[in-house]
Amino acid sequence: MTRPVQPGGAPSLGAEVRILLRRAIDVYRDSPAAVGWLQHHLARFDEPLRVAIAGKVKAGKSTLLNALVGESIAPTDAGECTRVVTWYVDAPVPKVTMFPRSGVPKQLTISRAGGGLSFDLLGTPVEQIERLEVQWPSQSLRAHTLIDTPGIASLSKDTSARAGAFLAPEDSPTQADAVIYLMRHLHATDVDFLESFYDQGVARATPINTIAVLSRADEIGVGRLDALNSARRIAQRYRADPKIRALCQTVVAVAGLLAETGRTMRQHEFAALTALAGLPRKEVDSMLLSVDRFSTMELDAGLPDAETRGRLIERFGLFGVRLATTLIRQGITDPTAVSAELVKRSGLDDLRSVLATQFTERRDLLKARSALLAIDLVLTREPRPSAAPLAAEVERILSGAHEFAELRLLSTLRSGAIALPPEVIAEAERLLGGEGGSPAARLGLDPSADPQELRAAALDAATRWARRAESPMSSRAISDVARLVVRSCEGVLAQLPH
Amino acid sequence: MAVPAAVELVDLALKATKAYERPDLSVRLEQTRRRLADPSVRVLVVGEFKQGKSQLINALVNAPVCPVDDDVATAVPTAVRYAETTSVALVREGDDPDAPPQRTEIPLGKLAQYVSEAGNPGNRAGLSYADIAIPRKLLAGGLVLVDTPGVGGLGSAHGAATMSALPSADAVLLVSDAAQEYTRPELEFLDAAMKLCPNVACVLTKTDLYPHWRRILDLDRGHLERAGVRAPIFPVSSSLRLHAAQTKDDELMAESGFRDLIDYLVRQVVGAADVLARRSASQDVLMVTDQLAAQMQSELSVQENPERVEALMAELNKAKARAEELKRNTSRWQITLNDGVADLQSDIEYDLRDRLRAIGREAEQLIDDADPADVWDQFAQWFHQQVATAASANFVWAHERARWLAARVAEHFAESADVVLPDLQFQDEGMARKVDPLTQPEVEKLKLGGAILTGMRGGYGGLLMIGLATTIAGLGLLNPFSAAAGLLFGAKTVKDEKKRLLERRRAEAKTAVRKHIDEVVFQVGKDSRDMLRRTQRQLRDHFNALAEELATSISASVLAAQNALKTTTGERDKRIRDLKAELERVEALARRARALVADLPAQQPTPVVAR
Repeated sequence: MTRPVQPGGAPSLGAEVRILLRRAIDVYRDSPAAVGWLQHHLARFDEPLRVAIAGKVKAGKSTLLNALVGESIAPTDAGECTRVVTWYVDAPVPKVTMFPRSGVPKQLTISRAGGGLSFDLLGTPVEQIERLEVQWPSQSLRAHTLIDTPGIASLSKDTSARAGAFLAPEDSPTQADAVIYLMRHLHATDVDFLESFYDQGVARATPINTIAVLSRADEIGVGRLDALNSARRIAQRYRADPKIRALCQTVVAVAGLLAETGRTMRQHEFAALTALAGLPRKEVDSMLLSVDRFSTMELDAGLPDAETRGRLIERFGLFGVRLATTLIRQGITDPTAVSAELVKRSGLDDLRSVLATQFTERRDLLKARSALLAIDLVLTREPRPSAAPLAAEVERILSGAHEFAELRLLSTLRSGAIALPPEVIAEAERLLGGEGGSPAARLGLDPSADPQELRAAALDAATRWARRAESPMSSRAISDVARLVVRSCEGVLAQLPH
Repeated sequence: MAVPAAVELVDLALKATKAYERPDLSVRLEQTRRRLADPSVRVLVVGEFKQGKSQLINALVNAPVCPVDDDVATAVPTAVRYAETTSVALVREGDDPDAPPQRTEIPLGKLAQYVSEAGNPGNRAGLSYADIAIPRKLLAGGLVLVDTPGVGGLGSAHGAATMSALPSADAVLLVSDAAQEYTRPELEFLDAAMKLCPNVACVLTKTDLYPHWRRILDLDRGHLERAGVRAPIFPVSSSLRLHAAQTKDDELMAESGFRDLIDYLVRQVVGAADVLARRSASQDVLMVTDQLAAQMQSELSVQENPERVEALMAELNKAKARAEELKRNTSRWQITLNDGVADLQSDIEYDLRDRLRAIGREAEQLIDDADPADVWDQFAQWFHQQVATAASANFVWAHERARWLAARVAEHFAESADVVLPDLQFQDEGMARKVDPLTQPEVEKLKLGGAILTGMRGGYGGLLMIGLATTIAGLGLLNPFSAAAGLLFGAKTVKDEKKRLLERRRAEAKTAVRKHIDEVVFQVGKDSRDMLRRTQRQLRDHFNALAEELATSISASVLAAQNALKTTTGERDKRIRDLKAELERVEALARRARALVADLPAQQPTPVVAR
């Protein structure tokens, strides 16, 4: 995780913000509302990172959530499905709680129906529910709490409005620390929505807490075997697009359904796929021309019947069945190996590693940011003379902490406002932690590189950027950039063992 | 579709007008004939981007004509029509509507470079459309399939451009894939399309890929029903059809769902155009036979009953006065037309101003609530969308009203003239297309849409964009981004200074908004005024010609009646026999004209639209 102490021996950002939160609670001790709010944020500091999954209706949000968790818990359906903001939190025992807009939270009974859990809302209309909280024992949820949101551009205006109110509330900072934004193809409304995350004061300069996912990636290439390559190419194009770079950290292509199924494949499914893979290639290809043919074609006795095949196609999709049978035919006979290969090809691993470098490693930073937003809100809502030092402190942390300086500079670089050659910009972004905060990631070396190698690379980078900072040829803006990059290099050096 | 029977009938009638020396009637029939000779039936394929529109067209014509890609979308409209040999041309229409469009022939393989977003992003090359001709039986009936760039909702620039092309289309296919049910923008688009185009159908694509396509189909039907949109939905799989065509597999072909869609296109769409063609041909010929018969009839009655000549003359003179009256500016239909156009003009302009004023007010409120420097990008986009939506709505409404006016004028003309209503022709924008055959097909037809399309492009895309771009640049000077990122947080100490600048920014932003709205009122206002003027001219010319013919016919009748008095008794019997024979011949022609439409379904009443 983040280093506890900064290079200069100053207290870590997390510690500073925690102290500030406590001081704020003290200043506002006579205002129960403010204290409640601040205490909530103090507690939130120790919680796992809150990652919201957002996107247009039917972008595959719940499916991706299931894939990330590795279990089918979020209900999914062909029609519009998620209508209430739902939190998935790690806990020892499964429990679902409904938080109505007014009134006390109620515990709901859980039942499992086909795909995912289903909850009986006790007849409460969805518009009166603020959120559902699903507590579920899961290793995957320990690192970050996942929040499923209703789709935007939904036919039901209320559902869209609920998603909007949660992700980009008008009156307070958002409840999520980070956002995974799903899209099928980049649509004008996607850009609008991404932009709406950056409307808020402090948050404005940080597209740092958003990752975009090109979801349903298998469908982009209409289920062909090379569909995911095609999707990756598109994601790469988006990544290079300056407009999108200014809005999110990176773009990853993921075939959500394949990932979910890969992580939850059952033995009988594998058996059915193996039986199908044993048929002559031509026959399988002709079956796989369409979902209808696959699930209704007459086959010899002993082969999977129509119903089994119908369920297979629902779980794997046309692409998944094509891929799985091809893999089995190529000689992979171990179900674990097949399922691992499916997950790998689905792009879920890419997404998880991006999540790790972009969110988990930056946990403290993102949490600190959320907390500072919360303090800032109290200071603007209830200004009082005794709070003046707090305001100054918020300012100081925001402008002083090197982590925030890095974030701001990253955004500036991504916005294209600095005139430097693209490869130089790319190096600066990497050194600033744009691809991950670990020394190896910053230096663009293999994670297994030994400290000697890292040290040499860091020294080299520091020298080069120091030259750029001092060069009389550099404009003032470039000198500023270079100085910050040098500081990041020094940070890397301080982190390395002597 | 050119109906051979109709063409033959019109040719016969033409011969008759020559024989009876009525060149004025020949003019009308020649126009009818020219119209029949152009068989084009335009079908617009529209929808959100990446829904499989281009592939649908490829599957329909069973040839890879429209470029298809996983990533890159279509940027330029592409028309696919029939010809005996394959050819591809790029068409660029200039700003001058009278100048002939510039055509460049290219090989089919190169098409993707010009019509896709990759080769021609945002249609930078400024192409009006690509024109593909291929030998395919499906298209031989005159079907022209037009692939359009995908829309991203009503507010997008593409959406507005597509909207403006709707009225000149014979049918619209809304394409949406089976991945999900209809979204709000799609339903809004459908609703508007229903008002602009008589034939709207929905196509659900990629059914081979989605196991739940039947669910989606049901959900979509439900959405259509709730929205009150009466359009059929065809679930299809383009890849299955292409595959089936390759392997000649009948079963696959049935599964692809294309049979129903093609059936619809051939029967409903081409069929409807065919019905229209027959009706208009039949009606035009009947009008001619009526007038020819009237002349002979009057002579015949004088020949048979010379003693009644005076009563007849009195009647004829009355009719003549009425026909003269029709030509005068004070006649009822002329007043309806002139007043109607004037009213419409002010109503439409008021409607536009009203809509834009509401947007302007909201925009100023937004500017007051925030610092324009911070929100300008989002604001500009929001504003641009609002304006485009308002302009589209105004366009749809203007169009409905113009159609309604045309129907009223026709009604009033018919009431005074006691002639048959020149039917359906006034029910579609067709005014230019079907009523005035001089406006020639494809080039002109696209032009009609094209003129508005270019207007839209210039007015709502280019010009507005430029207007906003300069304002953005102006604001940019006040807020250099590089400094902003660092200064934003520290800026609180210089509140006073900032406040003064903020006021200035706000004032500038508001001026930009007002200027922009003025510009839109000017541009869009001009477009709708032009549209109305065109409508007015076409209606006036059409009905004036009719009135002229009527007057000539009556004069001829009067002359025939007078001449009849001069014939001697000996000649009279022969003349009566001749006239009866002639009348029989004209009547035979009329019978054929009636037979042409005998088996057609009854005509729908003119829809009356008011706000």
